[in-house]
Amino acid sequence: MRILTCVKRVPSPGAKIVVTEDGKAVDTNMLGFAVSPHEECAAEEAIQLVEQHGGSSTVMTLGPAEAEEQLRTIMSVGVDEAVLLTTDGSDWDPMATARALTAAVRELEAAGEPFDLILFGNESADSGGYQVGVRVARALGRPIVSGIKGVEIADGEVTARRDTPTGAEVYRLPLPAVLAIKEGINLPRYPTLKGRLGAKKKEVTVMEASREPGGQAMLTLLAPPSQETPTEILGDGAAAASAVVDVLERIGVL
Amino acid sequence: MKTWVFSTESDGEAAGSALEALTKARDFGGELGAVLVGEGSEAALAQLGAHGATTVLHAADNTSSGVIAAGVAAAVEAEQPDLLIFGMGNLDRDVAGRLSARLGKPILANAVDITEDGGTWRVASEILGGSTMVVTEFAGGSPAIVITRPKVFAAEPSGGGTPTVTAMDTPDIGHADAVEVLSQHAETSEGPDLEAAAIVVSGGRGMGDEARFGALNELAGILGGAVGATRAVVDAGWVPYSLQVGQTGKTVKPDLYVACGISGAMQHLVGMKDSTTIISINKDPEAPIFGISDLGIVGDVHTVVPALVEALKARG
Repeated sequence: MRILTCVKRVPSPGAKIVVTEDGKAVDTNMLGFAVSPHEECAAEEAIQLVEQHGGSSTVMTLGPAEAEEQLRTIMSVGVDEAVLLTTDGSDWDPMATARALTAAVRELEAAGEPFDLILFGNESADSGGYQVGVRVARALGRPIVSGIKGVEIADGEVTARRDTPTGAEVYRLPLPAVLAIKEGINLPRYPTLKGRLGAKKKEVTVMEASREPGGQAMLTLLAPPSQETPTEILGDGAAAASAVVDVLERIGVL
Repeated sequence: MKTWVFSTESDGEAAGSALEALTKARDFGGELGAVLVGEGSEAALAQLGAHGATTVLHAADNTSSGVIAAGVAAAVEAEQPDLLIFGMGNLDRDVAGRLSARLGKPILANAVDITEDGGTWRVASEILGGSTMVVTEFAGGSPAIVITRPKVFAAEPSGGGTPTVTAMDTPDIGHADAVEVLSQHAETSEGPDLEAAAIVVSGGRGMGDEARFGALNELAGILGGAVGATRAVVDAGWVPYSLQVGQTGKTVKPDLYVACGISGAMQHLVGMKDSTTIISINKDPEAPIFGISDLGIVGDVHTVVPALVEALKARG
């Protein structure tokens, strides 16, 4: 079993985002970065599948040189190898990203063995375009299912479950296949000290990614319209219950 | 100008997102069409027609996203629509992604506004969990493919009649489509549908544990509302994903939203911030949820919620 997980370096989820004065970029001076959460779960899933079935796992990202930090984080919890596709640091659109990842997968597979399974996060925590995984799968001619919250592998097939607004669906895909993993599938482990030290010594394969423009032009970034409303505090604790009932009567929902 | 919207069908109804998109697309004028995946019931077709669609490209319910994308791609090449609008459903996103890859066109996702200026489409999208907006222009020619956030456009019928229906050609696409649905199951839920409910009572991690989260069922029951939850609660396994409100869950706009033990992460707020009245119960007076609430109670949900239930019962 050879598994590849593709991850993205994103501003730490929940971080205060400041847009630069020209409205063209996010000010990264005070910003922390992390592996996008869905992808952190995808990497954990890869580790667990290799623990169950044997084989090896690889993590790959496309990003600035600093994204090596996220690759080392993933290696520190048990992924064996890492590949960094370096960019000039600018934001790549999903089409350009998918093209570069596809080319890299082909190169890695030509140099070694094919990947039985390629995992993506369902969507990145920053741009959330839902597209890179599906584009790579299509370019490679492999089946993909997204939103995956459960994976089992047996007899050259993968069984994958996803939640739907009304219940769940279970899919069967022949390997090689691609899955877009959703947060909640597992609880990613924390790196141990030994894991961290080990990850420092592992080699990261660096390849330069070539960019082709993807047919979209970012015009401006802005803060969303403020939703702050004056809040009337009805009281403290249980004593406020009757005031709530009065309000519910006033607004006509009772 | 020609716009197509994508719709799934559930219990004989077209998707709300498609009716919203059709309503918005009427702003752009020209011809409106829909791609409908489902049974193709008269009721669903009538809904699409009533919201402005004059043509419908129909595919049966069990068609895989790869095949639908191939079928839509062939139709797009023949009919040359200028704009394609998808919603945020699983199938919407799967088909949009595959279609855009087939056509070699970008998608702009998480859209909250679409404008057209001299043949150029611009889309405002929420990024970084809703904390930032980005305005992007399509630069690669037609069609522009957009995935919109739910309920950013209000659905209003225009009084159109039943549309003309064409069956979609569904080609064989080989290994890439070797995805087989083994099972689909629906969870039965009591009470009103979360997305349509006039009152939603939602809980966050502050509810403590699965058993104590159950207290919200009683409150929702008395109010005749639906129960919702944050992603943290769903990820902890206390309630199914079908109850998740937020960026990666459902978007609700009830008359009343009661947020219990919810701190107010941006990912949750984007799914409920447009509720008419928001009442929050949280022990932390600095919790971000109060920033968008109309009314607040500072206190422990485990005492406030039971007191509220008692007060409502006493009212009779």
